[in-house]
Amino acid sequence: MATITVPRVVPSPAEDAAALLKAFQGWGTDEQAVISILAHRDATQRKQIALEYEHKYSESLIQRLQSELSGDFERAVYHWMFDPAERQAVMANAATECIQEEYPVIVEVACTNSSAELVAVKKAYHALYRRSLEEDVAARATGNLRTLLLALVSTYRYDGDDNVDMELARSEAKIVHEAVRRAAAAGGHEELIRVVGTRSKAQLRATFGCFKDEHRGSVTKALPRGDDPTGYPRALRTAVRCVADPSKYFAKVLRNATRESAGTDEDSLTRVVVMHAEKDDMGAICAAFQKRASCTLEQAIAKETSGDYRSFLLALLGS
Amino acid sequence: MQQFLTQTGSNSSAATSPPASPQPRLRQQQAPRKERDPQNKEKEAPPAAMADEHQDLTRAFAGLGGLGVDETALVSALGRWRRQPEKRAQFRRGFLGFFSASAGAVAGIERCEDEYLLHLQAEFARFKDAAVLWAMHPWERDARWAHHVLHKAHPPQVLVEVACTRAADDLLGARRAYQALYHRSLEEDVAYRVRDANASLLVGLVSAYRYEGACVSEDLATEEAKALAAAVRSAPAAATKLVQNEQVVRVLATRSKPQLRATFRIYMELHGKPLEEDLAAEPCLREAVKCLDSPPKYFSEVISRAFSDDADRQAKAALTRVLVSRADTDMEDIKDAYARQYGAKLADAVAKNTHGHYKDALLAIIGK
Repeated sequence: MATITVPRVVPSPAEDAAALLKAFQGWGTDEQAVISILAHRDATQRKQIALEYEHKYSESLIQRLQSELSGDFERAVYHWMFDPAERQAVMANAATECIQEEYPVIVEVACTNSSAELVAVKKAYHALYRRSLEEDVAARATGNLRTLLLALVSTYRYDGDDNVDMELARSEAKIVHEAVRRAAAAGGHEELIRVVGTRSKAQLRATFGCFKDEHRGSVTKALPRGDDPTGYPRALRTAVRCVADPSKYFAKVLRNATRESAGTDEDSLTRVVVMHAEKDDMGAICAAFQKRASCTLEQAIAKETSGDYRSFLLALLGS
Repeated sequence: MQQFLTQTGSNSSAATSPPASPQPRLRQQQAPRKERDPQNKEKEAPPAAMADEHQDLTRAFAGLGGLGVDETALVSALGRWRRQPEKRAQFRRGFLGFFSASAGAVAGIERCEDEYLLHLQAEFARFKDAAVLWAMHPWERDARWAHHVLHKAHPPQVLVEVACTRAADDLLGARRAYQALYHRSLEEDVAYRVRDANASLLVGLVSAYRYEGACVSEDLATEEAKALAAAVRSAPAAATKLVQNEQVVRVLATRSKPQLRATFRIYMELHGKPLEEDLAAEPCLREAVKCLDSPPKYFSEVISRAFSDDADRQAKAALTRVLVSRADTDMEDIKDAYARQYGAKLADAVAKNTHGHYKDALLAIIGK
């Protein structure tokens, strides 16, 4: 269930564009006005507002927003303005620029979208950057990390759950177990990457289930944790978690981002909230968050962030 | 077909031959039959006319090495020898590739060779296949071909062809069709069933969703041409084969086609020969490069191979596949490429090497 709220009677794009212009004019910006409009419009409406604004005032709304706003608030609004496919393309592109640190973003984009959504992201990437996402990932990553990321990004998984083969699940659980036992450096990870990179999500979940039955522990716990500088083990773990239970994964990212002790990780917080506020799974993510943390997501954000950035995130969450 | 005719020709000597036929192989067939068949002498019809009839019948039944069946000849053959079973018996005794008198001797029959029946089945089916494939959605066609190749463990040429010569959205459409038909993704099945060195290349190629724009970076092309050259040079001493080389697979499976063509062009400039020449040891890799570089040239080669004498079943089936699948896209370019490479018009070559309705169907598909 998406969390953003759109007013029942929506002003026309022209009215919204005019209101935004008013918010930009004069000393400073009326950030509350910006939030009250943009945080309460869906992707189609935002696009219409942007077109209307450009048509009437001969400047790009996004660029104006970038100059009027600042900090985390500006980054959040900037990403929010795109439609879901473009947004993920932009985030994935940013991640390829420093792939050794940001590869989890690419794994998230590749594994938590449906096949059709992932194609839309790739098409948006073509249009924005005149290259394919696969090209950029393949050119910048190396070794096992590259093989894994490329497989995850290129795949067009079967989306149905009607063809799960339990025999196959059992045999592939063995493959996973074998690969997990051996360190990545010892080889034998091609089969694991093949399974994780090509099987349908339903088939993979069945495989993980068989693994758990056979080995009395989930795959995620069995995967090596070490500080491998290549990032491959962590990417693998991320991929498995994203396929097995995306809501739980994102809730964990949010919990890590809002942890009191470690300081707030605004980038991850923005990424998850902005990416999911208008998707069906936000409700599930909030519920998963609340289950593990001692408070609701809104409370955590209210405590750990401040100012317009906080208002914007809370508005996206429907507060 | 060749094997069936040479069976009969193996003990031929230069006996009298029938009137000059355009198929020199037939001459070998005629000679032994006359020597072997004592009843021939008792027939009233002179041997030459009998030989003509047999020649027509043989052509009707087997196309004499071309593709497809000459339905008209077959129909007129069927109308012959009514109430003359002994003539038909003679035909059977004379057509040693189709019938075996020794195998059926116990039962008093000239038994049909199973292999020849399969051969006939394939020849008769060409027209039907062409028609059905023509009618099918291109994506379904590609999906069915890919599935067939994977599940019959045929050489992966078709996979490379489909993955590299279709536009990005058409390849994606074929992958969707594959899922709808078989409830698995294409890359799943390729990764699972292809276990040789070509696996990573094939998975990469079929998973590709390439950028389709014309934007090309000369610097990148130069860099990657050098990387490819380095891979080629180090291949003989490397632990894995060239087709498993990460750099090679990465470049071929992810770059856009215009970018790749620039890379191939620069490779040629730097080394004085095209990349394909350096890939002779890796047929799968070489085919991928050919398909990516110039589909019309690649297709005209496939077509020409279908016409050659030692073409196997897959090579012959390729004729239908190529002509039907390219009729709407680059058929004109293929015709030009064929003319340039083999000095003949494609339509003429097809007319010469195919028969009957199959021939007419192909000529109609090719267009003027």
